[in-house]
Amino acid sequence: MIRLPAALILAVLMLLGLVAGSPAYASPPDEAENDDTGLHLLREAAIAGRNRGYAGTRHVTVWGRSGAFSSVLRVRNVPGQGLFVRTEPSGPIRRVDPGSPAGSMAAPSEAMLEVLARNYRVVEAGGEHACGRPARLVRVLRADGTLAARYWLDEAGGPVLRRELLDGHGRVVHTEALLDLVLDPARRVAGPALVAGGSDVGEAPRLLSMGWRLPTALPGRLELFAVHVLPTGYLYLGYSDGLSVVSVFVQSGVLDGEQLRGWHAQQRDGHTIWMRNSAEQETIWASGGHVYTVLADAPADTVDAAVAALPHEPVPTLWNRLGRGAHRLLSWANPFG
Amino acid sequence: MSHLGERVSALVDGELNHHERDRALSHLAFCASCRAEVDAVRALKNRLRSLDGPAMPADLTMSLLRMGDPGDPLPPRERPFPSSRTFGGAPIPSMHSVAPPDNRPRGRAAGPRRTRRVGYVAVGVASAAVAIGTLFVVGGPEPGPRVPPVDMFANQHSNTAPYGGSARPSFSPTP
Ligand SMILES: [Zn+2]
Repeated sequence: MIRLPAALILAVLMLLGLVAGSPAYASPPDEAENDDTGLHLLREAAIAGRNRGYAGTRHVTVWGRSGAFSSVLRVRNVPGQGLFVRTEPSGPIRRVDPGSPAGSMAAPSEAMLEVLARNYRVVEAGGEHACGRPARLVRVLRADGTLAARYWLDEAGGPVLRRELLDGHGRVVHTEALLDLVLDPARRVAGPALVAGGSDVGEAPRLLSMGWRLPTALPGRLELFAVHVLPTGYLYLGYSDGLSVVSVFVQSGVLDGEQLRGWHAQQRDGHTIWMRNSAEQETIWASGGHVYTVLADAPADTVDAAVAALPHEPVPTLWNRLGRGAHRLLSWANPFG
Repeated sequence: MSHLGERVSALVDGELNHHERDRALSHLAFCASCRAEVDAVRALKNRLRSLDGPAMPADLTMSLLRMGDPGDPLPPRERPFPSSRTFGGAPIPSMHSVAPPDNRPRGRAAGPRRTRRVGYVAVGVASAAVAIGTLFVVGGPEPGPRVPPVDMFANQHSNTAPYGGSARPSFSPTP
């Protein structure tokens, strides 16, 4: 085991801190000075998404790499108790975090909004209707001015009524919309206005000290927000640009492709990548003695770019091909071994 | 919601407003007979279009209407992994940008050991990764052929609130 100089560990922590705590882009967001005129509306809707009681039906459609996936959810938010979701027609009732994909990202934390604001311009775009209710439209723009997302926010202090993500070609690739909504009467809410939140990379220094290299960003402005070794022995890396989540799971071993029924294999530079048609755009591949699984609710082009940026050894290494008996062969072949 | 009826044609033509479209799509998710009708109308309109002039581009409406039951077999994407150095429109950053340490056995025959690069630049994002080679196995001492527990991963993925402070899911990680 290589002992690490304290200075190096400090440098690593500073690098992580740079990504976790402060803008990676040139101009830090300042709502008073820049064009993020819609950010306060998103914040209010996020607060309502946690603190205002409501019930409704939510329709979700995701256009993945090669098809669309739709689901209908009954949702009920009970302040202080949480967001309860049931997938129609017969799913179980689950309590979910309203800031998670399962909760339609309806109530992001303040830190998540900061990430959104430093990666995109968030502009108010006038009055509209959604779910049969008056709504404020907020447009989320990339640096080149193209549209990355649209939010329809309830005028009457309710949650996000509708949310769309668009890919780099301007196609709507993800829609979450309330079809009907019953808002509980407004109450004075005690408690935090908005969950402060923050990144969760406390395990990173230990992993770095063990030799892991963790990219703090992936293409598509995806920033590392979570690093965990799960109790089950998998490394989890979470990335987000403020709009979507890309989850990367790494486990040691060799991929048993024969058992991936229902998945289709794609060849790329002699390297096999397995994909399955699903709302999560599931992708699996093996590289260098590890198996990678990526799940995402981001546009397919973003997911593809993220997958491409992760390790791919185009030709299996000798160790992978020969398996665990290889060292004997090599010992024999290499007189210096 | 009753069957789509005459809204089928408007849906195929992309003439419904987004609220009506959402309602129609959510009906389609559960109604095979309306799906069949949408397919038939779409096929008919495609045939009519092909009679006059160039084919319509595959627009959003069309991709929208490709919707079937979740899990339905769908036509493969045309160009999922272009062999050029661009990928989904984005340039490919250098490989090995994330990488676990070299956990192959060491000190025996020393297979070719890659040099780890320090630093990595993604599209427009300065980023860094540190390279220190040493032994580490995440998944236990016996890495063998395996299939990832995708359902469990999907559960973790969909229950993780980014920048929520703690990314640990609050649910019990079953299925
Ligand atoms: Zn019907």
